[in-house]
Amino acid sequence: MSLSRRDFIKNTAALTAASYIGMSLPFVAGEASATDVASWHRGTCRLCGTGCRVQLGINSKGTPVAMRGEPKSRTNFGYLCMKGMMFYKIMNHPDRLKMPLYREKKTDKFREISWDKALDIAAQKFAESKQKYGPNSTAYYGSGQCLTEETYLFQKIMRAALQTNNVEGNPRLCMASAVGGYLTSFGADEPIGGYANIEKSSCMFLIGSNMAEAHPVIFRRVMRHKMNNKDKVKIINADPRISATSRIADMHMQFKPGTDLAMLNAMAYTIIDEKLHDEQFIQDYAVFRQGKKVQVDMDTYWQSLQDYTPEKAAAICGGNITAQMIREAARMFAKSDGTMTFWCMGINQRKRGVWANNLIHNLHILTGQLCKEGADSFSLTGQPNACGGVREGGGLCHILPGHRLVAKEKLRNQVEDAWGIPRGRIAPKPGAHTIKMFQQVNSADIKAIWINCTSPAQSLPNVDLYRKGMAREDVFIVTSDIFPTKTTELSNLVLPTAFHFEKTGVYGCTERRSQITPRAVVSPGEARPETWIATEWCARMAKYLNDPVVLQTVKPFLGKEMYVEQPEAIWDEYTQKLTKHRDNDLRGATYKVLKQMADGVQWPAATESYALTGGTVMKFVKGSDPMATSESKDDKPFQFYGPAHADRKLWVWVRPQAGADEEPDAEWPMYLSTGRIIDHWHTTSMTGRIPELMRANPYSFVEINPKDALKHGIKPNDMVEISSRRGKVTMPAKVMEGPIEGMVFAYWHDMHEDRMINKVVKDSFDPGSKEPEFKICACRIKRVSGPKALKPFVV
Amino acid sequence: MPIGGFVVVLDLSVSDEVLKQFSQFPQIDVHGVNEEGSAVVVIDTETSDEMEQLTRQLQKIDGVLSLGVTYFHAEDEIEKIESGEIKPSFSFGRKGEKSENCS
Ligand code: SF4
Repeated sequence: MSLSRRDFIKNTAALTAASYIGMSLPFVAGEASATDVASWHRGTCRLCGTGCRVQLGINSKGTPVAMRGEPKSRTNFGYLCMKGMMFYKIMNHPDRLKMPLYREKKTDKFREISWDKALDIAAQKFAESKQKYGPNSTAYYGSGQCLTEETYLFQKIMRAALQTNNVEGNPRLCMASAVGGYLTSFGADEPIGGYANIEKSSCMFLIGSNMAEAHPVIFRRVMRHKMNNKDKVKIINADPRISATSRIADMHMQFKPGTDLAMLNAMAYTIIDEKLHDEQFIQDYAVFRQGKKVQVDMDTYWQSLQDYTPEKAAAICGGNITAQMIREAARMFAKSDGTMTFWCMGINQRKRGVWANNLIHNLHILTGQLCKEGADSFSLTGQPNACGGVREGGGLCHILPGHRLVAKEKLRNQVEDAWGIPRGRIAPKPGAHTIKMFQQVNSADIKAIWINCTSPAQSLPNVDLYRKGMAREDVFIVTSDIFPTKTTELSNLVLPTAFHFEKTGVYGCTERRSQITPRAVVSPGEARPETWIATEWCARMAKYLNDPVVLQTVKPFLGKEMYVEQPEAIWDEYTQKLTKHRDNDLRGATYKVLKQMADGVQWPAATESYALTGGTVMKFVKGSDPMATSESKDDKPFQFYGPAHADRKLWVWVRPQAGADEEPDAEWPMYLSTGRIIDHWHTTSMTGRIPELMRANPYSFVEINPKDALKHGIKPNDMVEISSRRGKVTMPAKVMEGPIEGMVFAYWHDMHEDRMINKVVKDSFDPGSKEPEFKICACRIKRVSGPKALKPFVV
Repeated sequence: MPIGGFVVVLDLSVSDEVLKQFSQFPQIDVHGVNEEGSAVVVIDTETSDEMEQLTRQLQKIDGVLSLGVTYFHAEDEIEKIESGEIKPSFSFGRKGEKSENCS
């Protein structure tokens, strides 16, 4: 590389950084653009749910060579985290799956086969299963990382062609409780506002979220806002673990795992006790509920809080929690001009995750900290398209596209009519939720399962139990993915898929924002888009099932060009027919519009002209949300028109404290919690192949409080065994003031058999949301040896 | 030979001291700091490994509040991966499992 070219690139790097902070530099963009980047392509980051917009730089040979943030994007304003900046480097990785692989028996070696043969085998197996064992012997398990077009199409095929609602996806593992919380509290899924509230808020309550590592670019906005308004903006961080997020907090509330429901009730107690509630807001918009059908009055609710005076709650919560601290937090929350709560897996992955969500929403409803600038009850999403694809596109066993419930005949009929299939074709009963689905794999009631873009053989709790079922020879498993994973190891058929930027489609991020990523790069080998794979598979099943409805399911998409026309036809069908007049109305967000937008469209957005403004920043508010006017039932400024509350009210819930399903005891005396680290993404099938990221965190470790370390004779980097009633792993220790005394915290990314923490985690789940309790179970720890040299590992 | 563009947020009360420490690294160019304490920094290293180690080292300096990457260029490296000249160090693909094509 000549010196001058290198300087050009460095100038580009400097200019890009400078543009984000509005600084001018003494050289101009023209000079700097003389690098080997032939074109820049706008899209969305492939990784977390923040939805950062990126520009991928491609050289004249069509190879991706550079990445930068999209400065005009209202999600990230050009900033990216390290993993977002580097994900493109895996596109050319030699481990990419490039040909379909097949083996009849799971103990055999894979052999490469043609697409023709692969699709035929998949079609034959699923058709045979349906015919022999019934529709519910088949299943689809997808991902919050699939494009919306992919999730929508797969669920359509499962419901319309195979006639089963066995449609699930990994968002069940991370955000089902948030869905349950929004529906039961606000009557509508997904947050009311968006990131735009961050810079307008004056109090931020971060609970059950290590945002600094799991959503670094949102954290940057939060941190920036705090730094610019040090005295005005207050930050409360509530978590049993002190994390990188805690460093910006004015107050860190550290409580015993599983006691936060008591703490949240005590905050509500203080709010009412000190008359900090918003009486008018409550009178206009809220009711009190004890059960789905039982409405109670505010006095009954107040009586229920008597068990949670700050003193009583502080005794339950332990840690550093005092009655005074709870009162202080409640005051900050209630008195601020705009309070925003953020939470993530710490609240959702719980035995009573929905209740915990409800109790957060309660605080916002009681104080009227909703529907105004800077105020929001905002659940963070883990994956880039869990909201857009799975929640909105019908990717779970009980929901159809457009936030429709499977159980409601009227809503099923709407979908059947839109698809042009006979009424009654969609099965009336919801399918098996994730844990049930894999229990049915274990019992071989499910005989044929398609796993797309996810690795349950690593990500399920109590994973060894479910790997046994997946290893059964009488369960046929198809996996479609870009790399080998723990799950491809248990599959019969492995289909190589096109990666992000190698196909076209839409992701919907945490803040109801749909953003397109058009194809810019050619896939390696014979990797193909999932929409093409699913369409061709279904068309072949029609032959085996001899059923015209099966062909009808994919007829509108058959034979279309696979990279743009086919996904666009799928997106059009979904948005124009299935979101029409629903709360997630996306009719205005056509490909044409999305391609023009730096950062996509927030729904509802019924028309193209409205979508071009960016859509709805604040739901339910007249003047901001057109549906608040079109669906208005009275002259009040807020209209809660969501599909789940016929009374159009916000529901304040009576919910008692409820601990974990498995609390520590004499035999298993410690809490185990699991989570994420900044450099890695979930199972590391991608980030584990980026040397910079892997080197930074080559293997999992367990965080141990210094007091516990002393008790167990554990020194930093010693090898520690963590065991539970289900299994054991061994990993190095990090001794630190992170987890509360009595709790250890382990990273779940590591694929190595010795360190896969999900072998230890319990598979209990929330009875409402069916989301597993990854965050709390009982374990014990013991020092195994001094430090050992470990090798990083990916399959 | 990667090149990265970063916005580094500094604690303004100690920013002079931090910048002095930055100047000891020949791989680092600081293009300016705005009134909020955000610095435009370009890092140019021989290897990705060095880049990663250096950014981690910077994050440990007292007064460095955050380090946000805004641009990343690694063309040479990608070309070498593509041509097979370098093999990423973390690659454990299904070697030896390719067998006859039965299509
Ligand atoms: S914060 Fe999330 S979306 Fe943004 S760059 Fe990082 S991984 Fe990507």
